[in-house]
Amino acid sequence: MIRSLAGSGRRLVAMALMMALAGCAGRQSALSPAGEDASWLHDLWIVMLVGAVILWTALNGLFFFVTRVRPNDWPERHANRLIIGGGVIFPTVLVGTLLAYGLSMMPHMRADGDGLVVKVRAEEWWWRVEYWPAGATAPIVTANEIRLPTGQRTELLLDANKYIHSFWVPALGGKMDMFPGRETRMTLRPETPGVYRGQCAEFCGPSHALMAFEAVILTPGDFAAWLEAEAAPAAPPATPEAQRGQTLFRDEGCGACHAVRGTEFDGLVGPDLTHLASRQSLGAGIMEVTREDLTDWIAHTRDIKPEVAMPAYDWLEAAELADLAAYLEGLK
Amino acid sequence: MTDPKTQTGSRQDEFEFFEESNALWWITLAPTTWAVHFVLAYGGTAVWCAKFGETQGVTVARLSIAGLTVLALGFIGWLGWRSVRRWKPRQNDMEDLSHPEGRHEFLGHAAFLLCIISAIGVVYVAMPALFITTCR
Amino acid sequence: MIDRRPQGIYPPTEEMLAEPVPAEVQERQADSLTKVWKTKTGIRYLMSVNNSEIGKWYSLTCFGFMLLAGILALLVRVQLAYPDMQFLDADRFNQFFTMHGTAMMFLFAVPLFEAMAILLLPAFLGARDMPFPRLSSFGYWSFLIGGIFVMGSVLFDVAPNSGWFMYPPLATEAPGPGSDIWLLGLSFIEVASIAAAVELIVGVLKCRPPGMRINMMPLYAWYVLVVGGMILFAFPPLIAGDLLFELERALDWPFFDATRGGDPLLWQHLFWIFGHPEVYIVFLPSIAIAAMIVPTVAQRPIVGYSWIVLSAVGTGFLSFGLWVHHMFTTGLPNISLGFFSAASEAVVIPTGIQIFVFVATLMVGRVKISLPMLWIAGALAIFTAGGLTGVMIAIAPFDWQVHDTYFIVAHLHYTLFGGMVLPVFAGIYYFHPFFMKTYLSEKAGKWAFWLIFGGFNLTFLPMHLTGLKGMPRRVYTYPGDLGWNWLNLISTVGAFIIAVGFLIFLIDLLRPGKRKLDHRNPWRAGTLEWTDTLTGEDWGVRSIPYITSRYPLWDQPKLVERMDAGRYYLPDAPEGLRETMVTSVIDARPVQVQRVTGDAWVTLWAAVFTGAAFILPTFHMYKPAIVAGAFAIVSILYWLWTSTARKPEKEMKDVGLGLSLPTYASGASAVGWWAMWITMLGDSTAFASLIFGFFFYWTARPDFPPMGADHADGWLVALTTGAILLSWALTVGARELNRRGHVNPARLCLVAGPVLAGVAIWLLTLSVLGLSPSTHTYPATVCAIVIWVVAHAGLGILMQLYCLAGSLFGKLDPDHDADLWNVTLFWHFHVLTVLVATAVIGLAPRIL
Repeated sequence: MIRSLAGSGRRLVAMALMMALAGCAGRQSALSPAGEDASWLHDLWIVMLVGAVILWTALNGLFFFVTRVRPNDWPERHANRLIIGGGVIFPTVLVGTLLAYGLSMMPHMRADGDGLVVKVRAEEWWWRVEYWPAGATAPIVTANEIRLPTGQRTELLLDANKYIHSFWVPALGGKMDMFPGRETRMTLRPETPGVYRGQCAEFCGPSHALMAFEAVILTPGDFAAWLEAEAAPAAPPATPEAQRGQTLFRDEGCGACHAVRGTEFDGLVGPDLTHLASRQSLGAGIMEVTREDLTDWIAHTRDIKPEVAMPAYDWLEAAELADLAAYLEGLK
Repeated sequence: MTDPKTQTGSRQDEFEFFEESNALWWITLAPTTWAVHFVLAYGGTAVWCAKFGETQGVTVARLSIAGLTVLALGFIGWLGWRSVRRWKPRQNDMEDLSHPEGRHEFLGHAAFLLCIISAIGVVYVAMPALFITTCR
Repeated sequence: MIDRRPQGIYPPTEEMLAEPVPAEVQERQADSLTKVWKTKTGIRYLMSVNNSEIGKWYSLTCFGFMLLAGILALLVRVQLAYPDMQFLDADRFNQFFTMHGTAMMFLFAVPLFEAMAILLLPAFLGARDMPFPRLSSFGYWSFLIGGIFVMGSVLFDVAPNSGWFMYPPLATEAPGPGSDIWLLGLSFIEVASIAAAVELIVGVLKCRPPGMRINMMPLYAWYVLVVGGMILFAFPPLIAGDLLFELERALDWPFFDATRGGDPLLWQHLFWIFGHPEVYIVFLPSIAIAAMIVPTVAQRPIVGYSWIVLSAVGTGFLSFGLWVHHMFTTGLPNISLGFFSAASEAVVIPTGIQIFVFVATLMVGRVKISLPMLWIAGALAIFTAGGLTGVMIAIAPFDWQVHDTYFIVAHLHYTLFGGMVLPVFAGIYYFHPFFMKTYLSEKAGKWAFWLIFGGFNLTFLPMHLTGLKGMPRRVYTYPGDLGWNWLNLISTVGAFIIAVGFLIFLIDLLRPGKRKLDHRNPWRAGTLEWTDTLTGEDWGVRSIPYITSRYPLWDQPKLVERMDAGRYYLPDAPEGLRETMVTSVIDARPVQVQRVTGDAWVTLWAAVFTGAAFILPTFHMYKPAIVAGAFAIVSILYWLWTSTARKPEKEMKDVGLGLSLPTYASGASAVGWWAMWITMLGDSTAFASLIFGFFFYWTARPDFPPMGADHADGWLVALTTGAILLSWALTVGARELNRRGHVNPARLCLVAGPVLAGVAIWLLTLSVLGLSPSTHTYPATVCAIVIWVVAHAGLGILMQLYCLAGSLFGKLDPDHDADLWNVTLFWHFHVLTVLVATAVIGLAPRIL
């Protein structure tokens, strides 16, 4: 707490700035839709908000009026009309209409996909991602980041390793829970290219708060190019530093859990690291892929992310950590 | 229950007890109809979709719900009619229902109102079958 | 056969009522009542079972737990005040929010309903006490012990930490005793809730004053009736869920483990079948308090009494069709979600009617704003906002966006503050003069209101936006660049303002020297509780009145005077026994004098032992737990034997006004029979939930039952059915033989019955011995059903033997056979259970 409060003055200024910049346009906001489903839901929200404000004001206004402004001399037949009209007829019609609106929207959000299938499995506490383009026989595997093309409906098949999680990118659409042993399905149709943020929405234990990912929306052309690059094996280490890092990676047994395609490292326990450095974030949406954050993460995994499976490599020297980070930074 | 009546009144007492317990159950009949309609619609569709949804779609379930809804509304309508007869709105205004002697009329009125709410509930619950055409 | 029909004159004539009671008679009667109902002092005060004492303890305990849960909420808010805050670590944060929700729901909201109903209901009905005072006492002690156990775990850093709805597999696999504490502690409290529900339902149906026909009941009684019924159908599914959950935790039976054929969704179904009605179980009684206050404020009868009844009953029913709206994002078929979306919208209508009835009543009345009304007005403003967001999230696609975000946190707090907390405060300000005989401070009350109301909106209004901007619930920290920082800081500040409001209220409540009550009916209300004297006697009402109006204090001008004079029924206690009146269900005609039980230690002991039986298994102390369980059974048997269905010293008793009533009843006219009936309804619901589980797996899992699985032995299952049927027939036979005076043959039946039931237990156990329940959900489910049946058969044996002992030791004879009627009723339900269970485990797998 002390650490946090000490910087609070500085932070307040920074926050005010951030507020002004962000406004409603957060990266994780249902109020700045970047996909078809989210836009529909945004419209629905606006309609309901306006309706709710009017109804709330009318009802509480009426209450105020009959208790404070004209507290008596109303005949009883008005009261009965109020109960029948206000309590039965009006809400039945209004709510019925809203229900029809909502129901009519549901099939579209689970419509068929246009070909691309993305399978996401929630692990403790990160995301395993497989791309299955139409007709593919083997997936392209990555982790902790979802990239989707604009203008087409992508099908997402979701499940989980151990606990229940929930897949949610507010800017693209609603959420869907992920269960161990039960596949759930949703489809999304992004519209505006950009980088958005998704987060696990179902409470899943100690690091629930630290289970996020970036959703990168690309034009179909950019997406195809990226997918091709993603399918390629990892780049070999380019600098002496990075080569030392790769040796360390091998010696410390990192490859037992992590896969780097094109090398002998083929572990399946942790996230695939083949193109780690081309991702937007580290540790499932909580850090950046920089030298500093990489060394910090490797040395203090469990301080940063409670009860995560990866042990903290705190016995490594600073230089060794730098080498490892250099190797990982080269995995573009 | 005054003294001379006590002996002859016993059979009448029993009859009244029967009437009494029936009257209280009576007001729950309409919402129970709603509940049965709801459980059959939900349970039926859940089982149908789990067992036959992939091959046969949901049409059979939707048609069944339509039939079920007509049945439920018909039954609630009949209950409503019986409740109005018990209530006797032409002979009793609201004031009469608040007198001790008006308890049967009161139960009729309450049952009638519950019929209205239950009918609305049944119509609402049938609406998904109108809008949603797959098991997804 | 003894003729137990009421004798004499009913209803009383005006001349009879007008006849004065001589002063010396009045004095003598008052003295004898005082002696009989006197509350004990010193340590023996804890023996009290009178509703006014139990009600006060119960309410204060609930408030204590609420304050603790509120402190947890403040700590949670501190951690969320800034991004990347390091005030609480993840695990502690998770414990705190879990316990905040758990305590607010299970240790405050639901028990407070029971507490206030126990405190107020007899007064509303002009009764001396609840029909089963010792049951209230047992319920209270159970609640206190269970609550301290669950709440205390926070101090030892072992509190449950998987959220108040405890979703498996997270909760089933959580290390440490946290999940067990939650399960066993709360199961114990749930049992106490069901006990309270039984008592309240019987209280409303059978303990009204003469003449208070069903359309004359105070609205509060209607709500209690509906809510009691809801508890009977809502809590048992959770108890069934708890059983499965604990079997998985303790014995590794894989009900929720997908790798062995289980499914975590079953828990979600069972939890929310309980959880959503529970919201209305919390909400309706508070609205009921408002329904008592509004007519007083308007100084006229409620407009649309039938409409309130409709909305209470309608809401009660519809609330059972909403549970899946907590599961909209679980990937169930759209059409299934649609049904629940529709029902969730339909419940808006009865709820809305309720509010419009209040507005209409205030419209035609002459409103004078008082402090309770201020709280009602605040409640309305907050509740309507929560209701409107409720309409939004009942639309499934919108819920897909905001589910599990701060939008939901805002919504649920709006409904619970507006629908529960503020009306309860209104009730406290309104009823404080009644139960404490002093006034709370007007000034402090206004301060408390505005701080709580303002602080509440400051805390929770921004949360709608926080949620829409993407902040999920239950995160212990968040990054600073998502636009949530200010919103969270505002919410934290608001939370502390609410806390200041509560503090002011608390100081006012506890400070000495409050203004004494100067008038029996300070609000000029029309209902019976305000006939209570300025000092509040232990006996409640001096005589039980004859009622001819919904608002007797307004419409029956001489009522108070005549009640005080002892002109009405039961003005005396010549036998030195505590008595109250039992009347018929619809017309409230007097049918019996019920001897209610007096102060005792045994209920406290029974609660201590039952508590130990539930609590010890948490620490894997199974043997001491079994011993405690045995002691609990012995205490309860002692309690039943010594104080229920005792033979009266005389069969008929003069109750005043020329009416003479029986002092003993058996069968359908006895309150005990009703209690058994209602209890078994709840018990059957729990059993139905287990059967639902069986068919849920069959629907949801392709491998249920798995190919080539072992089944329960068909022949043994069939033999079990036969043995139980025979045992049931013998029980019915014993009742009929005994009734006709054939005492010895009846005793023989009561010997053979238990033997056959014992054989059935043995056969049924044998039929599943070959199954290994930890390998797959199918054998586990079969074994769970068997456990249920065996436990109930054991209970059935105990009951048969109890009747046998009763017959042998003279407690039960052909004219006093209430116990045997009640036991037969239990067996009716049990035989149905067994038929269904054996069909499911014996036949279904071979057919499906």
